[in-house]
Amino acid sequence: MSLSLLTELEPLKDTLPVVEMRHVTLSFDGQPVLTDISFRVAPHETRILLGPAGVGKSVLLKLINGLLKPDRGEVLLFGDEISIMPEQALFALRARTGMVFQEGALFDSLTVRDNIGYQLIEEKKLTDEEIDAKVRESLKFVELEQTFSLFPASLSGGMRRRVAIARALINQPELLLYDSPTGGLDPVTSTNIVSLIVKQRDVHRTPSLLVTHRLQDAFTMCTHRFDAEKNEMVPLPKGETDPNTTFMMLEEGKLIFDGTLHELLHTDNAFVKEFLE
Amino acid sequence: MAIQTLDRTAKQIVLTVQDYSIFAWRSLMNLFRPPVYWSDFLMQSDIIGVGSISIVLLSGFFTGAVLALQSTATLSSFGATSVTGRFVSLTMIRELGAVLTGIMVSGRNASSMASELGSMVVTEQIDAMRALGVDPLRKLVTPRIYATITMLFFLTIVSDAFGILGGAAVTVFLNHQNATQYFSMAWEGLYFRDIAQGLVKPLFFGYIISSIGCFYGMKTTGGTQGVGRSTIQAVVTSSVLIIVADFLVTHVMLSLWPS
Repeated sequence: MSLSLLTELEPLKDTLPVVEMRHVTLSFDGQPVLTDISFRVAPHETRILLGPAGVGKSVLLKLINGLLKPDRGEVLLFGDEISIMPEQALFALRARTGMVFQEGALFDSLTVRDNIGYQLIEEKKLTDEEIDAKVRESLKFVELEQTFSLFPASLSGGMRRRVAIARALINQPELLLYDSPTGGLDPVTSTNIVSLIVKQRDVHRTPSLLVTHRLQDAFTMCTHRFDAEKNEMVPLPKGETDPNTTFMMLEEGKLIFDGTLHELLHTDNAFVKEFLE
Repeated sequence: MAIQTLDRTAKQIVLTVQDYSIFAWRSLMNLFRPPVYWSDFLMQSDIIGVGSISIVLLSGFFTGAVLALQSTATLSSFGATSVTGRFVSLTMIRELGAVLTGIMVSGRNASSMASELGSMVVTEQIDAMRALGVDPLRKLVTPRIYATITMLFFLTIVSDAFGILGGAAVTVFLNHQNATQYFSMAWEGLYFRDIAQGLVKPLFFGYIISSIGCFYGMKTTGGTQGVGRSTIQAVVTSSVLIIVADFLVTHVMLSLWPS
């Protein structure tokens, strides 16, 4: 994707949101985890959820996918209110989303091929050959074609995350949820993972929500684009940021910031300032 | 303070029973709505059934042998050692075959189900499965439940048969009695009600073992320590419930077919 195409993109706040949370509250054993959370993810928008460990970032991500139910409030996924849906009705909606878990959450008894093709195998709509082709295509995207027949135990931490990304992407999801995809990884591997996320954002323009506590990754996503010709992530011209990548920040279960990179860097909120420093 | 603790514990117990009832009912009913994972059913049948044969065979054989040893000592004082075969076959088929097989399979498979599913929970593999649009209850739990019920039925028959053989070995080789007499007594003393009792029990025990093992596995919290805790709870609870269910089923069966 060229830079000119990227700069043509306008913020898409006013279109029908892919995800919307309205005054969501959730407690575990009487302890509040999330309090009165409201936000939206517009089509083609990438939202980065920042916050220190243990403030409810992963819980929020699981609420979006219906893996958890809120005590109060509404969660709308693709326009459907999922917090009142029975579990059975949620499976079809979840199949339209891709989720990358914190530690990858690969099925350790299955090969990389079966992990990535899991959803397609279960749907039973494609032949084995067609599934193999799709898995290889997905592996090519994350540059791990050589791991096709390996088991997750023989992969490094970074490779496992990349396989998890490939698994999330194989069915061309309409929404991507990344739960700390670079957590616990070395800087070089983290940059590789961020590069893949930026590639997905700029090539397929899938709306996404990324949870992280690593500021460097968040800023890299906002200040870089994917250059398809060079097949690598390159920085945007100085002073430019991706218009559809915005930030949110959680503090003790409350959403204390929602805005652009510029607004984030110039906010008066003491906690945000401390976090940025 | 003590009342609060009691109150909290009572609520927790009621909640667990409620959760278990919903879980067990849904898992059972999944067989009647597609998709049904037959390949997983066959794989679990192999793991649970074929994998448990050796322990069931050995425990059955030696239980029958011990029964013969113990009964001979008592029966000889009445001059009734000829009925050893009848005593061993009735005890094995009506009671011990089913209960011991249940407890052995519980030790092997309830623990394996709880630890396997528990590990999947703590490593978020269950959440990943749900996120990929696959129902873990349907994919992982239902095949295990039906495989355990089916396999325990056949394992109990194997245990009964080897128990009777174990009793025969003691009767013939240690007590130097007649094998034909032993087997004819073992056969003649059996009625439909005895066999029905022995074959109905494993259906209940299989359901208890698998549903409890899977329930504790899927409820695991607290990392690897939690997996260990779930495994212990699964084995202890299923073993105790087998004994309780044995009493209840025996009571019902005896009222249906009084001896």
